[in-house]
Amino acid sequence: MTRLLWLDYLAALRERKTWIAAAMLVYAVLAIPLLLADPPPHVREAIAAWFHDADPFAVFMFVWIDLVMNKVVAFVPVILASGVVLRERDTGVLGLLAAKPLTLSRYFVVRTASTCAVMLTLYAATQLLGAAWFPGRVAGFRPGTFLAAMSLHAFAAVFATALAATVTVAVGRRGAGALVALMLLGLLVGLALVGFYQPDWYAMTLANPLTLGALAMRDLEHLSPSLLLPPMLALAGLTAVTIAIGAWVVRKVEA
Amino acid sequence: MSASAITVEGLGKRFGAVQAVDDVNFSVERGEIFGFMGHNGAGKTTTLRMLLGLTRPTRGKATVLGHDVTLATLEVRRAAGYLPASYALPPDMTAREFLQYVAAMFAIPPATARARGEDLLRRFGLEGAADRKLRGFSTGMTQKVGLAQALINEPQVLFLDEPTSGLDPLGRHELLEHLRGLSQQGVTIVFSSHILSDVETLCRRVAAMHHARLIACGEIAALKREHGAATMDELYLNLVRRQAS
Repeated sequence: MTRLLWLDYLAALRERKTWIAAAMLVYAVLAIPLLLADPPPHVREAIAAWFHDADPFAVFMFVWIDLVMNKVVAFVPVILASGVVLRERDTGVLGLLAAKPLTLSRYFVVRTASTCAVMLTLYAATQLLGAAWFPGRVAGFRPGTFLAAMSLHAFAAVFATALAATVTVAVGRRGAGALVALMLLGLLVGLALVGFYQPDWYAMTLANPLTLGALAMRDLEHLSPSLLLPPMLALAGLTAVTIAIGAWVVRKVEA
Repeated sequence: MSASAITVEGLGKRFGAVQAVDDVNFSVERGEIFGFMGHNGAGKTTTLRMLLGLTRPTRGKATVLGHDVTLATLEVRRAAGYLPASYALPPDMTAREFLQYVAAMFAIPPATARARGEDLLRRFGLEGAADRKLRGFSTGMTQKVGLAQALINEPQVLFLDEPTSGLDPLGRHELLEHLRGLSQQGVTIVFSSHILSDVETLCRRVAAMHHARLIACGEIAALKREHGAATMDELYLNLVRRQAS
């Protein structure tokens, strides 16, 4: 299983769609400091009200997490994961692979896990590139805080990838499945920061996995393992459950 | 140990209102190349898929190397190779990568997998194209990679569904030679085809299917004598006509 996972990961890394996703992420890293050079006053004021802070670094983190990486989390997992098993079925590759001593459920787990690993690789590379590029270009940039906050958000990205794969096999058709996954992730992303805007709803929004991924925004000044680990564990658990559901659902797919 | 590599007893498959396979019985001896002939839609592919556990029978029983195909599916697949009639190769992988990928599905240790992969690439004359993306492969080359992936686990039983269709005469000849060589090494081969000359070239015994039912099973020479046929085409037509009447 481990070797198959590794070979599948390498194959997925070489796919064209992975390189398209990588190009999108590199563009985001390079472009954001330029776009953020002079945010409009109403944006600064809104962020100060929501996060009790108008620190330029807090403004940057809000923009980076909610306006950039959350959008990435809505799109890139769909691009990477919406073909898992179904693309092999539609192209005829599954006709060969299904006759091997590996159940379709296990094959789904391998494909989804390797796609999650690809997502994580792209995500981590983006944050490391950002940590190298942003200092000096973003006022008050703190690489340690940035990487700590984004390491939590990475778990949300992995969860989104597992969700896209599972939703697509549940729908049973690639195009329709990708659309449903995109709508679902779009909804979760759209509601991710509602608890920050409306503190009364905060507890309720913790049911949203993408809110868990953005929890670092609550207290950027005092990020600690005790703040980051619980949502990380919750997201890891949700990812495992989501993959397990996909593995159960995929049994209906006929090779 | 049973002399039969494959036994099929009363096997049937119904898809809704369509009876795809109906009460099929036959057995294949170890090391034999067994022909499976019939028109398109006769039920050959569904029978092969049931033998590999890819489709669940609605009635009957089948074993491959003593393993029940519905109860010990993974054991059957571990010992079998399969080349379906219709398939595609992953376009972004190279031939070498794909063989390693398939070997990993059998949990073959990497060093062994590499050695077997290189041997198969050499055997099928694919060394020069081993690092090219599969998307650019011709029909003949695709079929060679398809056969190579079916052999990566050194199977004891090989199921081949229309393996020669789409191949030019040279490619067909080479493929049939390979299969003969495998048979001499003790591999049991089920060779399904509607190209009857290939069946005759390769097999001693055949089963003929028509409209989901097995209409004949036995040695080719005996069947020809029994049905007064000089050629395989004539034999098959006589069998079908007798069935119709």
